[in-house]
Amino acid sequence: MSLSDLLSTSFVQHAFYAVTAVALAAGAVGYFVVLRHQAFAAHAIGHVGFAGAAGAVLIGFSPIVGLLVFCLGAGLLIGIGGASLDESDTVVGVTLTAALGLGVLFISLYSGYANATYSILFGQILGVTWDDVGLVAALSLGVLLVVSLSYRPLLFASVDAQSAAARGLSIRAMSLLFMALLAITTVVAIQIVGVLLVFSLLVAPAAAAEVLTSRPLRATGLAMAIALGSAWAGLFFGVWIGGPVSFWITALAASSYLGARLFDRNRVRHVRRALA
Amino acid sequence: MRDGGVVLGGRTIWRNATFAVEPGTITAVLGPNASGKSTLLNLILGLVPLSEGSLRVFGEAPHRGNRRVGYMAQSRAADTTSTMTGRDYVGLGFDGPRFGWGRDKGKREVLRRALALTGTTSFCDQPLHSLSGGQRQRIALAHATVFSPELLLLDEPLAALDLAAQAEIVDLINLIRDTTGAAVVVVAHDLNPLASIVNQVLWIARRQVRSGSVDEVVNESVLSELYGHPIEIIVTPRGRRVIVGLEEEFAHPHPHPHPQGPTHAEEAHHHLREVYEEETS
Repeated sequence: MSLSDLLSTSFVQHAFYAVTAVALAAGAVGYFVVLRHQAFAAHAIGHVGFAGAAGAVLIGFSPIVGLLVFCLGAGLLIGIGGASLDESDTVVGVTLTAALGLGVLFISLYSGYANATYSILFGQILGVTWDDVGLVAALSLGVLLVVSLSYRPLLFASVDAQSAAARGLSIRAMSLLFMALLAITTVVAIQIVGVLLVFSLLVAPAAAAEVLTSRPLRATGLAMAIALGSAWAGLFFGVWIGGPVSFWITALAASSYLGARLFDRNRVRHVRRALA
Repeated sequence: MRDGGVVLGGRTIWRNATFAVEPGTITAVLGPNASGKSTLLNLILGLVPLSEGSLRVFGEAPHRGNRRVGYMAQSRAADTTSTMTGRDYVGLGFDGPRFGWGRDKGKREVLRRALALTGTTSFCDQPLHSLSGGQRQRIALAHATVFSPELLLLDEPLAALDLAAQAEIVDLINLIRDTTGAAVVVVAHDLNPLASIVNQVLWIARRQVRSGSVDEVVNESVLSELYGHPIEIIVTPRGRRVIVGLEEEFAHPHPHPHPQGPTHAEEAHHHLREVYEEETS
C-alpha cells in the first residue's frame, strides 16, 4: 500500500478530522493553562480521567462517558477548592491521588482490560470511529466558541484577579469556567495522545507560543498553530514512517517548545550579557 | 461613610469610622500593616460587606463592577507571571470584564490617551516583566484610570519603589487628579512621600479610624490618644514627619513578616537616617 493509499483510508481520515479539532481547542485552552500556571491541574485532570474511563468500561459504558464525568467533576472540584490559586496545588494533588487509587481499583475489578487501558494511557487515534470524530469535533468547537466569547474576562481574571473582582467579575465563576473548559479539552485530547501524554498538546505548544510573543491574542493563535502543526505532522509521520502517532505528536510539540526557548531573542541577549 | 465598622471572620477590623471623600481630593490611608487599610478599599469596591454603620459610594450602596470606581491592586500576577505587554494589560482595564466578540471602536483612542497621560507610551509595548518597578506602577495606573473613573482607589502604589520612583508616581497621581478631577484614595505606609499632595488623612490603628487634614490627624495628641501611649512627631526642616513611638507597632504586624528581610523597625531606622543625612548635607 502506497503512502497516498494509506492517507486516504477511512481511519486516517477520521484521525485527521479528530486531531484538527482537538489541536485547535488544546492550543487555545493551553494558553490559559500556561498563563494561569495550572499545568499541574491539566496533568491531574488527565489522570482523573483514567479512573473515569476505567470505571465506565467496568460498568459497560463507553470510556468517553466516564472521561467526561470524571474530568468535569475533577475540574469543578479543583475550580472550587483552588479558586484562590494559592491552595490549588494541594487540592489538585489530593484529587489526583484519590482518582488514581479509584482507577487502580476499577482495573483490578475488570480483568479483560489491558488493551483498553493501554489506549487510554497512550492514545489510539488511528482507532477512532466516525461517531467518535463527531463527538470530539463538537466538544472541541464548543470549547473554542466559549473561549472566544469569554476571552477577555478569562484573561483579566488570570493576570489580575483582584482588579477583575473589583470590576465585577466573579473569580470563582471564572475559575470554574476555565476548569470546565480544561476538563473537556483534556477529554478530547486523551482520545488522541492519551492520559499520560495529554500535556504535549495542552502545554507544550502554548508554552512555546508564550516564549515567542508577548501579545495575548497572537500567543493564543500561535499556540493553536503549533498544536495543529504538531498534530498534523505527527499523524503524517505515524502513517508514513510508523510508530505511535502519540509519540510523534509529543516529540514534535516538545521540540517546538525547545526550539522556541533556543530562538527566544531576549534569552539569547540575556545569556550573552551574562557571559560578557 | 458614617459610623462604619467591619467584622471579618469574627474579628473586628475597625469600628466607628466616619469620613467623606470629595471629588478632586487626595486621601491617604495610613496605619500599620494588617490594620484594615486594604479592607477599606474592598468595602468601597463592594467586595466586603459593612458590618455596621453606612457607606454610600456616589449615593448608592457599594457594589462590584461600579464603572465609576477605578482600582489598582497592590500585587498583580500580570507583572511577573506573564509575558503580556503593558498595552494589553491597560486594554484589559478598558474592556477586560466584557464577554463577547465585539471590539469597541473607541478603544484605541482611549488607550492612547491613558498611555499618554501616564507617560507610558514609550515602553507600553514591552512585556511587563521586563519593566522597572516604577514603570509597572505607571502601567497599573493607566490600567486603573483608562475608563475614566471618578473615584480612584490605589493600594500601596509606592510599595517597593526607590525614593526617586516614589516621587515620580506621586507626581503622576497628582497629575491624574488634576486632569480627571477624580477623588483619589491612596493606601500607603508612609505619609512623607505623599504629604505634598494629600488633602485628607485616614489613620487606621487599634481598630479605630481617625480622619481629617494632615495636621488634624498626624499630630502628637491624636496619635498618642489613638495608640494609648505617648507618640512624638519630629518635623524636619523640610516639613517631613518622623514619628517616634510606633516602632513596636510597625515591627510586629505579623508573626513572621519578612523572614529574611529587615524588620519594619530597621527599615524605619534606615529611613530616618536617610532623611537626616539628606537634609544635613
